[in-house]
Amino acid sequence: MDDSRTARLVQAALRCYPARWQRRHADEAAELAALLIRDGTPAGSIAWSYLAGAARAWLTPRPGRHLSAMACALLATACLLGVSAGLLASAGPARAASTSQPRPHARCRPGPAEPVPVPGRPPVIIRGAGHDRSC
Amino acid sequence: MAVGRRDGRAGPDVLRRAGEASVLILISLADGPKHGYALIQDINELAGVELGPGTLYGALDRLERLGLIEPLPAEDRRHPYRITAPGAAALRVHLDSVERVSAAGRLRLQLGGV
Repeated sequence: MDDSRTARLVQAALRCYPARWQRRHADEAAELAALLIRDGTPAGSIAWSYLAGAARAWLTPRPGRHLSAMACALLATACLLGVSAGLLASAGPARAASTSQPRPHARCRPGPAEPVPVPGRPPVIIRGAGHDRSC
Repeated sequence: MAVGRRDGRAGPDVLRRAGEASVLILISLADGPKHGYALIQDINELAGVELGPGTLYGALDRLERLGLIEPLPAEDRRHPYRITAPGAAALRVHLDSVERVSAAGRLRLQLGGV
């Protein structure tokens, strides 16, 4: 592998680290990689070592990350609860409709057509939507 | 977080679960400050272990967070590190513990006649 490709490989691996780590170590790490390659260490193994290190750096909890992690967890929980509530609300009437037994002599009859108000649009009349309340 | 005791008395072995790399780095720094490349070379000569650069920086960050080592002012692009007093105390405790286990192992091998 030529020098430029080796350098690119190592640089790509170093870019996988968190920004805080890069600000502090990236220059030294690149120089260290160059020295190790000069000593005969394969560039691939150096890049692989940096990639594994980057994964560990992202996964290791840091003191400052506790609050943000907690905020993210709360936000995610709130979103999940909201989505669940929404699903339940939308599935409730459908389930009720699908599980209710058809009554042979239901007193359903089409009601008069009623305009359905939609904000910002003229009233729309839906035919056959006005069933009796008893249905 | 500072661990260990500045008076050098034995405390809990904080290096028990720190990993081999962290212990080797502390041993290497015990005789004076070193930067990354010097650490890798020294550890290779000392223990025959080829420490990967990713492993090295991970262990350096962890040790610094624990207060066992500290960075010195940068020389060019290199950042030397030195062992702190709590780091030296923690290393002593760990090496004592390893020595006790090692002695017990040798004794048992002797008694067992294996």
